[in-house]
Amino acid sequence: MAIFFHILKYKFLSFMKSTFDRRMVSAVRGLGSLVVFGGFAVVAYLLAFGVTKFVLEQTRISLFVYHRFISMMLFVLFVSVNMGNIIVSYATLYKSSEVGYLFTKPVSFMQIFLLKFLDNFLYSSTTFFLMVFMALLGYGAYFGYAWYTLLAVMLFVLLPYLFLSACVAVLILMSLMKAASKLGFRKVVGGLAVLYIAVVVLFFQVSNPITLVQKTQGMDLNADGYLKVLDSGLLSNLPNAWASDVLFFIARGNSALAVTHAVQLLLVTIAMFAVVLFVAHRFYYRSWLVTFEFQARSNTVQSGRRLKLFDFRKKSFLSPQMESLLKKEYFQFFRDASQWIHLAVMAVLVAAFALSVGNVNLRLRVTTIQTIGYLVLYAFGGFLSCSLALRFIFPAISIEGNSFWSQLSAPLNRKKPFFVKFAIGFLLVLVPALLVAVFSNAPFVRTFEQRPLLMYFGIFSAFWVSLTLVSLNLGLGGYFANYKEKNPIRLASSQGATLTFLMSLVYLISLVSIVIIPMTEYFQSLFLFFPFEMSTIVAPATTIYMLSASLSAFALVVGLRSLQRDF
Amino acid sequence: MIELRNVTKKFGSFTAVDNISLVVPPGEFFGFLGPNGAGKTTTIKMMTGLFSPTSGEILINGFDVVKEPMKAKSYTSYVPDQPFLYDKLTGREFLYFIGGLYKMEKKAIASKIEEVIEHFEIGDWVDKRTEDYSQGMRQRVTIAAALVHEPKVFIIDEPMVGLDPKSSKIVRETLRMMARQGASIFMSTHSLPIAEELCDRIGFVKDGRLVFLGTQENLQAYKQKYDGKFESVFLELTK
Repeated sequence: MAIFFHILKYKFLSFMKSTFDRRMVSAVRGLGSLVVFGGFAVVAYLLAFGVTKFVLEQTRISLFVYHRFISMMLFVLFVSVNMGNIIVSYATLYKSSEVGYLFTKPVSFMQIFLLKFLDNFLYSSTTFFLMVFMALLGYGAYFGYAWYTLLAVMLFVLLPYLFLSACVAVLILMSLMKAASKLGFRKVVGGLAVLYIAVVVLFFQVSNPITLVQKTQGMDLNADGYLKVLDSGLLSNLPNAWASDVLFFIARGNSALAVTHAVQLLLVTIAMFAVVLFVAHRFYYRSWLVTFEFQARSNTVQSGRRLKLFDFRKKSFLSPQMESLLKKEYFQFFRDASQWIHLAVMAVLVAAFALSVGNVNLRLRVTTIQTIGYLVLYAFGGFLSCSLALRFIFPAISIEGNSFWSQLSAPLNRKKPFFVKFAIGFLLVLVPALLVAVFSNAPFVRTFEQRPLLMYFGIFSAFWVSLTLVSLNLGLGGYFANYKEKNPIRLASSQGATLTFLMSLVYLISLVSIVIIPMTEYFQSLFLFFPFEMSTIVAPATTIYMLSASLSAFALVVGLRSLQRDF
Repeated sequence: MIELRNVTKKFGSFTAVDNISLVVPPGEFFGFLGPNGAGKTTTIKMMTGLFSPTSGEILINGFDVVKEPMKAKSYTSYVPDQPFLYDKLTGREFLYFIGGLYKMEKKAIASKIEEVIEHFEIGDWVDKRTEDYSQGMRQRVTIAAALVHEPKVFIIDEPMVGLDPKSSKIVRETLRMMARQGASIFMSTHSLPIAEELCDRIGFVKDGRLVFLGTQENLQAYKQKYDGKFESVFLELTK
């Protein structure tokens, strides 16, 4: 293990030097990050405190049902960390040049595996750790827990829970590599994506929050009771249920049961880690070699006669420069497995969400409930665009990499590649945003409206949100460009990317706050049958337009200026 | 023609290039020599628009690289010290890509590509993705790409790195031919024999300053002051 710690030491030194260098610009960036991160940490804390207080005191859905909601959120967290780790691990465990370099040194491949696995976990989940911890503090503040209780929950429940998710991710990845060596990469990835989505959809079919609330209607709810009768079989035995049970039993003051569930989770995590090490020992090096076969297969000589779609040899109506830039973007994207697979998974998730939300049956004519429902869907649509923009638009300039010399030294206006990326990115974010806007507004329009005002507003918002998020991510992606990092996933989880993501969230929260009052008034007018003044919706729409346009212009100027810097 | 007028580049308080002035007329093969970190690549990056000079002017065929970059760059071809290519494109696609950036017609690109494929003997590899290429193959494709639009000014940074003897011979002959056809060649190199073999004039740079600028004849005279070896001149000038 001496070599392991030796490498770890130098990785740590390298990280510290790049994070805390003494240049003024780095200090300013660091301070900016600290302010935004700090702000977000505070928001996460206040939100968790406020939601806990509101749900337990106002809605009175019982402590158990609230913790089952937490369990569902933990499941979403598990899936997010899991998906992130599958994709990041593929890039770092199999495609990284660092791994290739270390394999030529007298370092055991298990040590290399362990190093990269931990690197992935810490790198791709740091923001989650911070947000989860702050949310835990907010939740704990409501119950008045001591600091050491919260620290223990973080260290012995939530961190192992996230680590378990990363272990499952790397196991899935190694199995995928093994299966792909026999069945072919695309088939296995396609199969896995379908299976993964099926599991997520099934989970929410079985543990639907609306169904859970409906089940409790008419029951004599004991505020503190452990209503196991509400659980759906196997789902109460999943790690997310154990983690939420720990919180539930602490809240009830039953520390013995809390510890039992925590130990159960810890043991499963340790066992899973042992399985990961065993499988890696048996298979990591061999599966690493398999990736070369994939590459050799996918890079076979192309036929010289038959011209494929977007072939450079085909004639085009575009100008030569524009054609070159567009075709390069196309090939660069669709020949990189980590790019198109992630996009395909996200596209299927968007489609699944749009279709399921489009069929929601809204019955209650209660202003508060419908306004909250509308705002949740509105925020979710924005969040989806935010994730897409972060993952695919933020790295767009950096992934030009060192090859960018070919464009920068050519007689090409630097605005052109920037706006080509902008146009592609805008399309990529706008289409799903419109899809979600149309489908999530459809139930409201179908159930309550004579004229589709909400639909128009949703489409208007989707357009401006997409434009702003693409501008922010492209502009700041240029400002924080790192031409040395080839991996788009690592770029999308870098410090600059996190800062951009947090800024995007602030923008989305601002939009939600802008529409709260007009939407409340709108639903009131629908349910209480009084006329709705159009000016009520025009004012927030104008504010959204002005905020979005100015933010977009600012980000685009920052991005364009960054391209004028020395390369 | 290339013209550098009092060009300086500073990075903070560090001066990488210090008040360099020189002219490379059409048809001249100019060698730019110096030890590691002397400022050769920084000078070249300023000439190709990848760095902006802190002060001074760089003219390519009379056009200022900073004020009229499109015109200046349309005459220029650049080969960087590391042959970075887009990994996911094939060699042929990269050549089309470059041709497009220089606004060439499709037919002209296609015929020029066939020419460079044959000239650099890259036919077996040109339809594979460049991520599979060896360093030498990347270098050949990069140089081939620089020739696609028939530049009047050729700026090349360490051209022989990673090339096998045969490729090196092809590149040397190509550069010589281009100079004969009237192109201005600005080549940075560490290789003293190559500079001696190819260059009409040579400049030595040390700590960002031009410490010697002369023709082969001037250099021969200078060599006699020492032991008659180019290496000794290099070591003395860059001491």
